[in-house]
Amino acid sequence: MITKAQKKSQIKVITGNAAAAIAAKLARPDVVAAYPITPQTEVIEQISQFHANGEMDCELITVEGENSAMNAVMAASLAGGRVFTATSSWGLVFMYDAILAAAGARAPIVMVNVNRETPGIIAVSSGQQDMISTRDAGWIFLIAEDCQEVMDLVLQAYRLAEDYDIQVPVMVHYDGFYLSYLSEGVDVPFQEDVDRFLSVLKTQPERTKLVPGGRLGCGSHGILGGYLELRHKHVSAMERAKAKFEQIDKEYEGIFGRSYGGLVEEYRMDDADVVLVGSGSMCGTIKSVIDEKREEGVKAGLLKMRMYRPFPSEAMIKALKGKKAIGVVDRSLCFGFKGGPIYTELKAFETQLGGSKMISFIDGIANTDITKINVANMIDTTCDLAAGKTVREVTWVSYPEAQKEGGL
Amino acid sequence: MSSNKYFKHEGPWSDSNDPLMCSDTGDWRTKRPVVDKDKCIFCGFCAIYCPIQVMEMVEESCFSPDLDFCKGCGICAKECPKNAISMMPEGDFKK
Amino acid sequence: MTQKKKDNLTKVMDYLKYEDPFSKGVAFCPGCGLELLLRFIPQVMGNDIVITGTPSCSAPVLLGQNNQSWHKLSYFGTLMTGAAANATGLARYYRKAGIKNTVVCFNGDGTAADIGFGNLSGAAERNEPFIYICYDNEGYMNTGIQKSGTTPFGATTTTTPFGSASKGKNLRRMNLALKMAMHKIPYAATATLSDLDDLAKKLLKAKEAKKRGFAFLHVFAPCTTGWGFAPENTIEICRRAVKTNYFPLWEAENGKIRMTKTVKKPKPVSTYTELIKKFAHLSEEDLQILQDDVDYEYCMLGGLSLLEGECRLPASLED
Ligand SMILES: Cc1ncc(C[n+]2csc(CCOP(=O)(O)OP(=O)(O)O)c2C)c(N)n1
Ligand code: SF4
Ligand code: SF4
Ligand code: SF4
Ligand SMILES: [Mg+2]
Repeated sequence: MITKAQKKSQIKVITGNAAAAIAAKLARPDVVAAYPITPQTEVIEQISQFHANGEMDCELITVEGENSAMNAVMAASLAGGRVFTATSSWGLVFMYDAILAAAGARAPIVMVNVNRETPGIIAVSSGQQDMISTRDAGWIFLIAEDCQEVMDLVLQAYRLAEDYDIQVPVMVHYDGFYLSYLSEGVDVPFQEDVDRFLSVLKTQPERTKLVPGGRLGCGSHGILGGYLELRHKHVSAMERAKAKFEQIDKEYEGIFGRSYGGLVEEYRMDDADVVLVGSGSMCGTIKSVIDEKREEGVKAGLLKMRMYRPFPSEAMIKALKGKKAIGVVDRSLCFGFKGGPIYTELKAFETQLGGSKMISFIDGIANTDITKINVANMIDTTCDLAAGKTVREVTWVSYPEAQKEGGL
Repeated sequence: MSSNKYFKHEGPWSDSNDPLMCSDTGDWRTKRPVVDKDKCIFCGFCAIYCPIQVMEMVEESCFSPDLDFCKGCGICAKECPKNAISMMPEGDFKK
Repeated sequence: MTQKKKDNLTKVMDYLKYEDPFSKGVAFCPGCGLELLLRFIPQVMGNDIVITGTPSCSAPVLLGQNNQSWHKLSYFGTLMTGAAANATGLARYYRKAGIKNTVVCFNGDGTAADIGFGNLSGAAERNEPFIYICYDNEGYMNTGIQKSGTTPFGATTTTTPFGSASKGKNLRRMNLALKMAMHKIPYAATATLSDLDDLAKKLLKAKEAKKRGFAFLHVFAPCTTGWGFAPENTIEICRRAVKTNYFPLWEAENGKIRMTKTVKKPKPVSTYTELIKKFAHLSEEDLQILQDDVDYEYCMLGGLSLLEGECRLPASLED
């Protein structure tokens, strides 16, 4: 839930990309390395301008490709720096080896990924397949719904990534095109408040750093048990990140007056019978359709995922338990499972949900709009499921051909 | 809880304040460099070219290999301008 | 015992100002050129360098095992693909934080010339403040001796084997060092292990040049196991590589190329190849192709070294 800020910020009408760039500037990173790609380009253009204007005192590395951007920020981070980078789609997957390496080395990088499609069918359009392709890279994944949340999540991401108990890189995802270029009013925090919010990190023990002459090396072979130990440490840190993120969200509210509820945001969930599970920019549309449906007496609610990795299992179960029917909206595919990836993952908790029925909606891939009509249809279908009617397990909402005889 | 049995740190950091790892590379040797002190002119070529840097200066008058680690490559013998080093079969030294 | 004079000692010793930070017993083959180079660098440049290394023959020694290390240097184990970018990140952060540093990005030819060339070139173009050293053993040795971009014409490797339809690598090697000099960086040089004083000087020059930006060293480092030669011949092979102009020694300061060693009467390349099994199958004709390649490269280098031009950095970028 969003509460109004009081004199803690200034409202500016800016794009999601600008929000990310300004948030990065407010976090005062030591090193920024990035490479342009639609729809992220504006982020690095803005940062370059801040740097050129002397407003941003960082080392700006105009790398020759994304792979180098990730490698550069990984090393700078392990040397002790605060770092930032931004990418999208092909850029994200061109970084893939370094993304894995950075996670394993526990480099507390903060990056934004402006979601865009990645299949070989050229599509300069939105979709979460890039996020899904990297989901088990060992990063914490956060997803923003609007430009304000882009700003807030980037700032929260620093607290999470660099927290001494966590030390895991964080990727903030937001929908390309829908948020990247959308101008909205955003409460831009004041620098002194951001400094105060982040200063907590300075009170913590120093993380291990690569220092000249420091007699420490990073990139050691994990031999036998050593490898298992590090992997287990990583998994454990990811689990700790859940509670830490909730705590950071509360502290953020204390300073900036905005809270989103932590790992998941529950919208009109208290008495809801049917629930849509969604993430990112679609949630705005879903919320307004839910409001309309409520007027008609339909007890619908939304569970918005703010954290996708680690999968917020407990929070999801708590929020969804006992609901009559759940429709999960995915903007990406998961081969062999027919349903979308988030749907497939949530299915693993079917027994803990105590009999809630689940269906999958595939929509919003390659910039197909998740329209209000689409959302209304999804809610209707989920209501049918709740009422015990036979409905399709998987619906490609914007592609009716998929539902024809013999289709999936 | 994860343990710190293998790594002190959260990530893959090794620490050279702990004793360095070391293998018994002297065991690899099939030939042993033997220095003829009389022929040696103390030029130091054997020492600078030894890949393992195990030719040690003895009393500022000649060089002698650290046989615990000398791999017996023979570079020192080959590079010695005075042929002061001969490579002897390791078997000759076994009791 | 006769009293010997200390002034007989090779002046190379004078360059060895710092201790050898490596453990004595490490896993390089007997006679490995890489081992000598790796131990030499920090003795000349200091033990406070930060060294980065990739999967390669250097990895089992540069990188630790669990919490333990084989040496006292600060190191960072990078991927082959992004080695120069990692070094960039380190050097830039140290600069931002005001931490005195010498970052040495230490890579095989596989990383430098092939899979990691893009980001090496990018770092040079941006004139990043660190030293990149490529040890060239002319192939991917750690994976079992495969062809690389610097593998010379005719050499057999496990991916360019000898057979009825193949005489080894049927392509010419690339000239990595010249390519790097063409980036107009403050310092680029070649070096090898027979000429250790030359190598030491170049390491120190690179360290100095690093204050103005990118420094690149291409060091010819023979591999006994991969090339097939007697381990005692490592240094002799380097020497002959220089004497045949197979691997000329030169440097480029601010893009101005200068030979650091001129060979009066270069020997035929066969006096070099004769020591190495990977060339053993080559006919006179094949050897001539290799000779022509060597002559061509030397001619190009000679021409470049006559040019007057020098590429100075804009004054604003000088320290
Ligand atoms: C991206 C990637 N591809 C392939 C490998 C496998 N690999 C490990 S070492 C190596 C060869 C390295 O060659 P070079 O850099 O010349 O070092 P050398 O082994 O010759 O010392 C390869 C291909 C790898 N580690 N990473
Ligand atoms: S190379 Fe030969 S002469 Fe020179 S110091 Fe060594 S043993 Fe003595
Ligand atoms: S044989 Fe090789 S390893 Fe042993 S001392 Fe001589 S050069 Fe060094
Ligand atoms: S294979 Fe070659 S480069 Fe690798 S350790 Fe052995 S001799 Fe050295
Ligand atoms: Mg190699």
